[in-house]
Amino acid sequence: MTSTKTFGNVDRRSILKMIPAAALGTMAFPAMGMAAGGAGGRYVHANNSAYDTLDPHTVNDVARVASRLNFYDGLYRWVDNPPKMIPWLATSHEVSEDGLTWTFQLRDDVTFHDGTNMTAEDVVYSLERMLELKQGAGSLFIPMIDPGQTKAVDKYVVAFTLKEPSAIFGSLVPSILVVNSKLVKANEVNGDHGQAFLIDNVAGTGSFTLSRYDPARGFVGKRYVEHFAGWGDNYLDEIEFRTVLETNTRIQGLMSGDYNGLDGYLAPDQVERLRSSGKVQVFEQESMRVFHIAMHNGRAPLDDKNFRMAMVHAFDYDGYINEIMQGTVARNPTILPGNLWGAPDVEGYSFDLEKAKSYLDAYKAEHGDEIRTLKIGTLAGFSETEQVASLMQNALAQLGIKVDIESAPWPVISTMMQSPDTMPDMVPYWKSTYYVDPNNWVGELYGSRYAPTRNISAYHVDYVDERLEKALVITDQDERAKLYEEATRRIYDDAAGIWIYNTKWYGPYTKNVKNVRFCPVGNGQDMRWSYVED
Amino acid sequence: MSVLKRLLSDRAASLGAAIILGLVLVAILAPWIAPYPGDVTAFHLADRLQPPSAEHIFGTDRMGSDVFSRLLFGARITISIAVIAVGVSVAIGVPIGLLAGYYGGFPGGFLMRTSDIFLAVPQIVLAIAIAQTLGPSVENVILALSLTYWPFWARLVYAETNALKKQTFVEAALALGASDLRVMVLHILPNTASAIIVRTSIGMGATILTAAALGFLGLGAPAPTPEWGRTISEAREFLPEAWWYAAAPGLAIFLVVMGFNLLGDGLRDILDPKLRKGSR
Repeated sequence: MTSTKTFGNVDRRSILKMIPAAALGTMAFPAMGMAAGGAGGRYVHANNSAYDTLDPHTVNDVARVASRLNFYDGLYRWVDNPPKMIPWLATSHEVSEDGLTWTFQLRDDVTFHDGTNMTAEDVVYSLERMLELKQGAGSLFIPMIDPGQTKAVDKYVVAFTLKEPSAIFGSLVPSILVVNSKLVKANEVNGDHGQAFLIDNVAGTGSFTLSRYDPARGFVGKRYVEHFAGWGDNYLDEIEFRTVLETNTRIQGLMSGDYNGLDGYLAPDQVERLRSSGKVQVFEQESMRVFHIAMHNGRAPLDDKNFRMAMVHAFDYDGYINEIMQGTVARNPTILPGNLWGAPDVEGYSFDLEKAKSYLDAYKAEHGDEIRTLKIGTLAGFSETEQVASLMQNALAQLGIKVDIESAPWPVISTMMQSPDTMPDMVPYWKSTYYVDPNNWVGELYGSRYAPTRNISAYHVDYVDERLEKALVITDQDERAKLYEEATRRIYDDAAGIWIYNTKWYGPYTKNVKNVRFCPVGNGQDMRWSYVED
Repeated sequence: MSVLKRLLSDRAASLGAAIILGLVLVAILAPWIAPYPGDVTAFHLADRLQPPSAEHIFGTDRMGSDVFSRLLFGARITISIAVIAVGVSVAIGVPIGLLAGYYGGFPGGFLMRTSDIFLAVPQIVLAIAIAQTLGPSVENVILALSLTYWPFWARLVYAETNALKKQTFVEAALALGASDLRVMVLHILPNTASAIIVRTSIGMGATILTAAALGFLGLGAPAPTPEWGRTISEAREFLPEAWWYAAAPGLAIFLVVMGFNLLGDGLRDILDPKLRKGSR
């Protein structure tokens, strides 16, 4: 066995050094709004999306991250900003010389909410379940590990044997959320792997236990006193994540104190409104959440590079960033967040309708003057996507291209995006952080191995695939960075998408909320660190 | 006294008629009277969310477009939806009511039970379900409203026809050899006209309100169409600071619906002798 492998951004030795400090939650955590205060308290979060399921293995999005983070634990955990992994259910790991076998030592003092001791068998069951369901984070593991290749070596030792060496498996380990295998198996119905049960029940080891759940209203969790990481002096006794779809209601509710926190990606008008009220605190953090317009590269006329070049020059980047977003976000010229390693140093495309027209003329010279109506799908309730679509529609109208805008809720749009047949021509949306590796952005959106469920762009270029594939199996970060730079630069040259900005997180909380610990992976919704001051 | 004279003597009804006339004129003349007709599609991001001023009497919206200009163009969409949806509803509902009322028996019962099925579900819920299934667009809103509103006219005409077919003038026409179709179209239908006109006028207001609700829910015209319900939906994110953004289309909907209701009430008073004010 070797110990020279890196683990995401963190060297394994660094991880091992963290273990004693991580024990019982005694680490001095860098966090926002830190102050002395009393123990206990109740925190109410108004969420802009419904929690239609609590199953940790069937969804993997930002909108429903709170149930996964607070009811379940992974082998390791992402914390802080810049994000780093700390040991969690596992205390250490080793990678075999051939890079195929990853062996994790688990803690022996972890209990599920029903008091059952967590063992390696639970980890095996959890990963097999993810592979079987092929949903949520499971789709990330399918390309790298076959069913039956996760073994319980010992009661507290689990080994994963990969199909090929993987540079990102380590970064994905926090996504292996462990469920209570005995409890789930006992509630399986007709081989459904407990799906019906886990929609509205929790079988985890997480920091909070479920005390109420209503898909229309959200969930309430109570502090799990016996959680292995301990609690220290300050904590929350109860958390409630309430579904409040109306932005104005969330804002008013926060200002009046009905809620303690909201998501940190409000429009700048709303952030300014909250700030000027003097009743809330707004934490500001660099994040990794790229707003872009995904284009269907596989369908005419967007399968032509000249046409795509016309598209990338038809968006008013400055107007959008400086006027609508009021300069609160940073222009991001490619799909990789500018603050992440591997991002190439290129200048973003500019809004230039003359240039767009010349590319369009080149397209017409080859394909004729007839251009069909394009369809942009927008996310209902996310006005930024509608405004982007309107700007695009307006600019393309000046080029003589008609655009239809169709709005639908995120679950509907995301389902449409899963298939090249139903994917709209363009969809503006955010690519958030699920693990901190360039593959999270450029690999998943433009690599052929992820088509069609994650690579919704229908972009397939051998030059890019070769680099993305190679970057997945080597562990030298400098070399990987070079490969991602080359691949991303080619995708940029091919104008395979319209990349607009990398967002900042503006976390709004009532002034009595302390110790908010933001991480781009969890968007500040990992509540075990926070508390409400009396 | 003619109907028009009676209408003009009724203050509320004439106010309603004036509002509707104003709406129609505004819709027709929108390209000429809108201060910024290009703002239906053009954006001026540097001017977004400006409060009302001499330059923009109803302020500007989230894309910097003139709210007043977009409101005027929105009237066209509102009128189109209301006229077509109510027109189709009348075209479907009146013949069904006429046939069911005239023939009665199993065919009549079957038609009326069918309309009962539609009436059993709240209209807005049914319209939402249809519009959601078909996808968001003005055409689908019209279709959804037409499919859900026809039973109102069917039931109304059914009741009227049922009563009228027993009248002596109908029996006389039949005795003279008039065909069923002739009796229905030339003798019964004209006698139900007053009720249809009153119901249609009030129905227009209800249709506009439902269409606005569908637009508000994102089931109507997509952005950047200046449909009123949709505009309110866009604007709610900026309340209460940019109050003008939601207030202008809200006020427009209020006025137009009130206009149709006032006119409908007035016409009912005028056309139905039993309800005429003087006889109360």
